[in-house]
Amino acid sequence: MLRTTLAGLRLHKSRYVTTVLAILLGVMFVSGTMVFADTLSASYEKSVMGSATSVDTIAVPSQPEPGGGEAPEEPTPFTGGQIDDVRALPEVSEAGGLLEDEAVLLDADGRAVGFIPPAAIALDGVGRFSADEGSLPSNGDEIALATSTADQTGFTVGDTVTVLDAEEEKRDFTVTGLVEFGVDPSYSRSGAVVFDPDTVREMTGVTVYSEINALAAEGHTPQEATDAVAGALGAGAEVRTGEEYGLAMAESLGGQTEMMRVALLLFAFIAMFVAGIVIYNTFAILIAQRQRELALLRCMGAKRGQVFRSVLAESVVVGLVASALGVLAGIGIGTAGSAFGGPLMGTGDAVSVVITPLAVVVGLAVGTVVTVFSALIPATRATRVAPLAALRTSATAAGLEKGTGWIRVVSGLLAFAVSAGLVALALVADLGETGLVVVTAAALIAFVGVVVLGPLLVRGIVRLVGVPLRKVGVPSMLAVDNSTRSPRRAATAMIALTVGATLITGYSVVSASTETTMTNMLEEQFPVDYQVSPQLTRGEPESEEAGEPQEASAEGSEGAENTEGAEGAGGPADGAEGATEGTGGDPAEQEGGADEAPETPAMPTVPAEVVAALESQPELGQVIGQRSATVETDNDWMAFVYTYPGAEIGVDLTSDVVEGDLADMGPGRAVMAEGHLDGVGVGDTAALPSENGEDLSLEVVAVVEEMQMLSGVTVAEEDFAKAFPEVDGNEMLFVRAAEGADPAEVRDAVYTAVEDHPTMQVGSAAEMKNQFSQILDIAFYTIAAMLGLAIIIAVFGISNTMALSVLERTRESALLRALGLARGQLRRMLSVEAVLLCLIGAGIGVVLGVVFGWAAGASVLPDMIFTVPVGQIAVFIAVAVLAGLLASVLPGRRAAGTSITGALASE
Amino acid sequence: MTESTVKPVPPVAAPPVVVARGLTKTYDTGDSQVHALSGVDVEFHRGAFTAIMGPSGSGKSTLMHCLAGLDVPTSGTVHLGRTEITGLRDAELTLLRRDRIGFIFQSFNLLPMLTAEQNIMLPSQIARRGVDKQRFDHIVDVVGLRDRLSHLPAKLSGGQQQRVAVARALLNAPEVVYADEPTGNLDSRSGAEILRFLGDSARDLHQTIVMVTHDPVAASYADRVVFLRDGRLVDEVTDPTAELVSARLLKLEEA
Repeated sequence: MLRTTLAGLRLHKSRYVTTVLAILLGVMFVSGTMVFADTLSASYEKSVMGSATSVDTIAVPSQPEPGGGEAPEEPTPFTGGQIDDVRALPEVSEAGGLLEDEAVLLDADGRAVGFIPPAAIALDGVGRFSADEGSLPSNGDEIALATSTADQTGFTVGDTVTVLDAEEEKRDFTVTGLVEFGVDPSYSRSGAVVFDPDTVREMTGVTVYSEINALAAEGHTPQEATDAVAGALGAGAEVRTGEEYGLAMAESLGGQTEMMRVALLLFAFIAMFVAGIVIYNTFAILIAQRQRELALLRCMGAKRGQVFRSVLAESVVVGLVASALGVLAGIGIGTAGSAFGGPLMGTGDAVSVVITPLAVVVGLAVGTVVTVFSALIPATRATRVAPLAALRTSATAAGLEKGTGWIRVVSGLLAFAVSAGLVALALVADLGETGLVVVTAAALIAFVGVVVLGPLLVRGIVRLVGVPLRKVGVPSMLAVDNSTRSPRRAATAMIALTVGATLITGYSVVSASTETTMTNMLEEQFPVDYQVSPQLTRGEPESEEAGEPQEASAEGSEGAENTEGAEGAGGPADGAEGATEGTGGDPAEQEGGADEAPETPAMPTVPAEVVAALESQPELGQVIGQRSATVETDNDWMAFVYTYPGAEIGVDLTSDVVEGDLADMGPGRAVMAEGHLDGVGVGDTAALPSENGEDLSLEVVAVVEEMQMLSGVTVAEEDFAKAFPEVDGNEMLFVRAAEGADPAEVRDAVYTAVEDHPTMQVGSAAEMKNQFSQILDIAFYTIAAMLGLAIIIAVFGISNTMALSVLERTRESALLRALGLARGQLRRMLSVEAVLLCLIGAGIGVVLGVVFGWAAGASVLPDMIFTVPVGQIAVFIAVAVLAGLLASVLPGRRAAGTSITGALASE
Repeated sequence: MTESTVKPVPPVAAPPVVVARGLTKTYDTGDSQVHALSGVDVEFHRGAFTAIMGPSGSGKSTLMHCLAGLDVPTSGTVHLGRTEITGLRDAELTLLRRDRIGFIFQSFNLLPMLTAEQNIMLPSQIARRGVDKQRFDHIVDVVGLRDRLSHLPAKLSGGQQQRVAVARALLNAPEVVYADEPTGNLDSRSGAEILRFLGDSARDLHQTIVMVTHDPVAASYADRVVFLRDGRLVDEVTDPTAELVSARLLKLEEA
């Protein structure tokens, strides 16, 4: 039996070419992902380990345990004396400390680099970093840059760069080297500059050490040295060997690689799923075509089980061969991916490709299992072939399936109904994150509905579009009839394409809707052209995103009640607002700083000269400031108080009003974000304690939506000045261009005004929008490219279906040619059929994608502005047409090339 | 069929519709050459119903394929009317088949997804040619398909399917109709019916018909039978009977 199977496979090799390609592509994706991710994590590991293992011991100040409601304290850095202690240890031959602070680096245009200044570090004694290019600075005129900083600014060795010292005085340095910090998160985010130790002390005033590195003395193991250092430094230090430190860091970074691996494997899963559909269809068609062959086997005494096993054996062979090829291709792709993608991910030196046995085994197993699994149903069907079928001569009627059972119709419609119900539930019930899961489930159920109703859909749609097509000419008329000959086969081929089409369209709808919504939000609530704010300082960990912990820490250090920390009430809302404003920084954090004025350096504010300079520019119409303060209300509640000098609330700055009228705003009155003060509504009086002991009593004239432009309590400038006289600087400026001013001149005017203040960050609304849509576009194209593979596999499937149908219709094609159909017309007939299939598949996918993209977006963002990216969808449809044409090329050549007399004679 | 006893005027006066001169066809089968046709001269006149007979492998089908422009002879010429078809390119041959030749095959060769009517009209549609409604009605009535026009081939009997094929071949009044074993797959009653249609249309519609067959009974419906052996024309009988044809065939096999 096996011999028959193998002989059959050899004979019909060509029928499996596209199937093999489909499996191959899917497996290639799986193995390629594994190889890429393995190589990437190996090179991460190497880069981290490389720097960490260059020393034997690494000590960092230990993080104090955050206890209860108490705010976590900053770790206490090491002193010079502690380094001397370490040096004195007999187990240690050499030790050094890492001085670390921040310094403002100016780019070629004289503006500060980054929203946060880069780290300024120096190695005092031995350290774990070395220059990858050039050398480390040796005197006060030299500087080395992190390679990431060099890439960002375009500076190279030999250039002269300007750095601001603590007093913001400019000082020039010559770049002597580049240091690859690799993926070390402390330096990869905002970059770093390296000085010699004395210079960094001069520039930043730092005197303490953030890390101590040591080398073991002759005759002592790194572990002994580490233990000794741990003993010398005591409880305030976390001491590990270089290797342990490197491993720990590699592990924490590995998460990133794992996430990427999972994301890529998700796409690989989709590709394999589509490949599965294609394989299923191929085997189903082959079984149908080989009915007589199988019946003959049964006539000669083959048992059902033998027939079943023979088909499965065939699938195992096909699956194994294709998977093996796929694994090879995957290794190639993974290697190429690491070679080109590795540097982008900041892995530094390329390491040799890592091919784990797992990558090979998983690739082989996935491909083979999917193939065999997809062949199960066709194999079962093969066993039902009656021995008598061998004696039947005419196979003409076999191709025509008729009738779609009512069970099919009912269950298909039921699936759609359930899906619609779930979507309605997700939208009405406002489930938030769960809503997305519900919508996904709804989409899957609807997809099942499409699968069940597929044959009916194909027939219906073809009947509809067939009306005009039939009139075009004989080829398209025949194509229309051909495409509905075996609706089930056509439906399966089409559904493979629908999967990819749905996902791409769905994502494009979500992406486009998000973009419109965000742009709209920016325009409505942030109606300014430029925003000017000071550069944030690096020392505060919250500058990244967390508004809440900072709030808590501010409260905690003030020595207020413990409960206050937990009550960081307005935090989340304000934090979110800060995030949408992008460059705006974090209001919560700024308030914290302002509140704490006596103890910590004041929150940076925009210098008054900048305000004056901006106001004096004729191209600029309006300059609005923002000042804020935090107060505690009677019931342990935090209130955020804002004022906007130069702005008319409700006109220049606005939010959606819940109740009241923004026009009533004025001295003695306030606008409040919904729910900000407990139990206070329009017409009520809000009592706010102020710094000078005099309570502010304000009449609330309007309540506005949360998480928009106006948050917390907005008061008039006079009231604010009275209550918080010490807050006299603007933490941010909003600048609006004069009516009709040229955008380029406006830009020049803003930059001229901040010329003498390089640390001022200038954000432009237009640039923000651009950046935002760029990020969305990149994400879209990446995802589209990943899904592209699933689409290619589906097109292979359609091509394969066509090729097998052509094989089945050889005699028919010959007859048509004998009756006078030209070769070109025959090819056109097949093209129209393939394009029709592709269009139906893509069309259904687009419809599903638009519906569920809308549902998914709307369930997460209730105020989403639904946008259909017509351009992208049009491109996609065009691609589908092109894919159809391509899919029909080979089958068409084959059909047109067959000799008429030969085909007519063959039985 | 009332006129079947009345013999038509032999159409010798008119020039022949199809003329083949010195046709040879050689197949290379690797080490040896097979001569399917070795110098055939034959002509067919308008309104004549000719049968080509011969034992298996005598080159009957090859001759027909070459005459119909489905296959290209190794040497020799074939004329259809004034057109020499042996020099034509594939595209021209396609047009020639479409506009001037009709075909009837052994195994029905209907398109399964088209109805009987659509199958009959197919060549006209391919050619984007109008259909002579009267002729269509006449032919449909003659072959008795009036009430089967909207049926798919799968719903028709073998005889009915072949009648559809005959109607399709005759509809456009092609200069010549080639029939390749048209009764090969039919029971004798259906077969006789088809053959009578062919004979009638040759007489009544002056349709030139060339039929390849190995069945002496089928050949006896023709006006003339030509015999082929080893790729050569070896004999010819006019107004054949089944017995006469059988006797000639036997003689051929023995020789």
